[in-house]
Amino acid sequence: MVKKSTKTAAIALTAATLLLGATACGSKNNDNNTNTGNAGTNAGTNAGTNAGTNAGASDEKVTINFQNIYPDPATPSYKMLHAIVDQYQKDHPNVKIELESMNTDQQKLKLKTQAASNTVPDITIVNPSAQLQPYLKVLAPLNDMIDKNGLKDTFQKGLLDYYSADGNTYALPDGNNIEVVYYNKDLFAQAGITAPPTTFDEFLADVKALRAKNITPIAEGEKDSWTGSFLFMNILLRTNNGPGFLKDVNDGKKTFKDPAFIEAVTAMQDLIQAKAFEEGATSIDYNTGGNIFKTGKAAMMIMGTWETGAVDSSAVGPKVGVFKFPTVNGKGDPDEFMLAPGSAFAVSANSKHLQATKDFLNYFMTEMPKKQFELKNAVGSGQIITGDFKAAGYSQLAQDVLEMFKSQKGGDIAFDNTMKPAIAQAHLSSIQNMFVQKVDPAAVAAEHQSAFDANK
Amino acid sequence: MNVLKVPARTIAVFVLPCLLIYIGLVFVPIIVSVYDSTLNWDGINTAKHIGIDNFKTMFAHDANFWPAVRHTLMYAVFSMLEIPICLFVAALMNRYVKKANTLVSIYFVPVILSTVIIGQLWKTVYNPAEMGGMLNGILNSIGLDSWTRSWLTEPKIAMYCLYVVSLWQYFGYHLLIQFTGVQNIPQEVYEAAKIDGAEGFKSDWYITYPMAVPIFKISIVLAFIGSLQSFDLVWVMTGGGPAHATDTIATLMYTSSFSSNQYGYGSAIATFLVVMCLVVTVIINAVFKKVEAKYS
Repeated sequence: MVKKSTKTAAIALTAATLLLGATACGSKNNDNNTNTGNAGTNAGTNAGTNAGTNAGASDEKVTINFQNIYPDPATPSYKMLHAIVDQYQKDHPNVKIELESMNTDQQKLKLKTQAASNTVPDITIVNPSAQLQPYLKVLAPLNDMIDKNGLKDTFQKGLLDYYSADGNTYALPDGNNIEVVYYNKDLFAQAGITAPPTTFDEFLADVKALRAKNITPIAEGEKDSWTGSFLFMNILLRTNNGPGFLKDVNDGKKTFKDPAFIEAVTAMQDLIQAKAFEEGATSIDYNTGGNIFKTGKAAMMIMGTWETGAVDSSAVGPKVGVFKFPTVNGKGDPDEFMLAPGSAFAVSANSKHLQATKDFLNYFMTEMPKKQFELKNAVGSGQIITGDFKAAGYSQLAQDVLEMFKSQKGGDIAFDNTMKPAIAQAHLSSIQNMFVQKVDPAAVAAEHQSAFDANK
Repeated sequence: MNVLKVPARTIAVFVLPCLLIYIGLVFVPIIVSVYDSTLNWDGINTAKHIGIDNFKTMFAHDANFWPAVRHTLMYAVFSMLEIPICLFVAALMNRYVKKANTLVSIYFVPVILSTVIIGQLWKTVYNPAEMGGMLNGILNSIGLDSWTRSWLTEPKIAMYCLYVVSLWQYFGYHLLIQFTGVQNIPQEVYEAAKIDGAEGFKSDWYITYPMAVPIFKISIVLAFIGSLQSFDLVWVMTGGGPAHATDTIATLMYTSSFSSNQYGYGSAIATFLVVMCLVVTVIINAVFKKVEAKYS
């Protein structure tokens, strides 16, 4: 019996230790919690003190967790990331950078959980504007850091605004893209189309000419629903005669029942009813949709310029040209584009090595444009890259796209970057619905308005 | 327990860790999610208590909620309707097929495939003909061109296409359960019945089916709860689209929580799902208690 009771005691002791361990961790987390409460003030003081200590003891071992969305070794982004990180670790033997690579959707989910439990990694990935808003309190402002080494001036004018709030910049984008129309010159020729369309009526006529030859006019992966919205927003950018429609709605100056919005819905519907998209588009995911174009089974793809590299290296690469989205009913300026400011690197306000992390990110962002240029991944860079693209071996398509960036006069950003997530979801499913049934444009407008009113 | 001659205290100590883990991983999350369902919360920032407003929205204002419930219940009904067929096939196999085990194993293959693979496979079956869809290809080749359609993107039929895949996927699973049940019925009973003049379908009706009721019940409960939670297949094949036409409760819960950032509302849907599971399980048990009492 004695033996038995000692056993019980031992088990109880072990359990108690485990519990103690748990509570210890718990209290540590609590400390972190209070830290975030004063993220603003702490960030300032931390930066100061850390900088001081770091300068004194630069051989202090530092580990930086770097969450990123470049998991695929075949992509230039992956190569760029690893080249810069390796170089930095070589130059700073005391700094160890731990990469945590995963795909975009996983990262979005993971960061949500981490933000809720205050365990955001030192460097993480966030998205611009409306999608950045909820995370502000867990991120450190980077104002002091971007002033160092002239980093701020490497970014395209106005781009950092999408990552700023109340005069603070919270994240640095990995790119900035515009929406263009890629087209297959061979298929256009087969349908007897001689020049890319410049008006929506010409565009519709081309769609019908392609259909008449049994060619799918536009490849669209509408299962992922943002794709259709991205196209729709480009039409809206034209019918509204310029950018800012959603901003006006948010500011209460316009409603979704505005004629510009209804005109855009009507135009979108005309496109769908003219069978502009492949059959069953709403069950085709984004990648498959892209492949329909890249294997020469569709004549056009209306997408962000981030696709340039993939289109270039696909089977149809040499046959592909690019044009600006046409005017709609005589409205809009083709030099205004749907803009897609990229995902961006942000630093956790809770980072144990805030200053070291900022120093690294500063180096990383300074090196990034150079590496991107070398890796022929300069199309869609958020930073100004100068150099002889032709001599560096960039394709004609890439050069044409880069030319469009130069003529770019601003534009709008995606719906879900401007509106609250719940409104964006209602919008996405409303647009997706247009692909499967004919709708009354006024009803679509009403649907948007009621979602907006319910989630203001 | 007394057979082991171990004091209850010791048993308690050994059971405790498991029990704690179970409570921590099952009951605590359920309670937390019930609590969360009273919040207006984006999952990151400070939450606001709004009482039962989420439930009001869910029951009265969300145009996508009741269709999702309907889709889910239909899912359950179809899955449960499959089980009598499984039992029937199992009884036939038990009587007429010599090496029935091989056949059962073959039927079981879809169950061990990952749902993602099954989803992709059936997507290529349902695809439009121009994308190489097999079903449409067959219809075209036998002259039924007018029957071809884009199966997964027509709101009215997309859901039924998903039911079919699910039935195909789980047929082998329930067949295996029923077959095992049928095999376990003692042979003597049949012999006795034979003497009394009951053979073939008659013995099935009076012996096999009544004695398979307990196993039948297991399949029904499994099919029902499995259908209520149906998510993966729908997610892979249609993502709940087009425009919520194939949403189930679980996919609606997912999009509300993670795409619309309405954690509180998502939790309200989760709470509804838990309650529904519990209620229906209780009902099924009560019904079968009566059925079993009748036959034993």
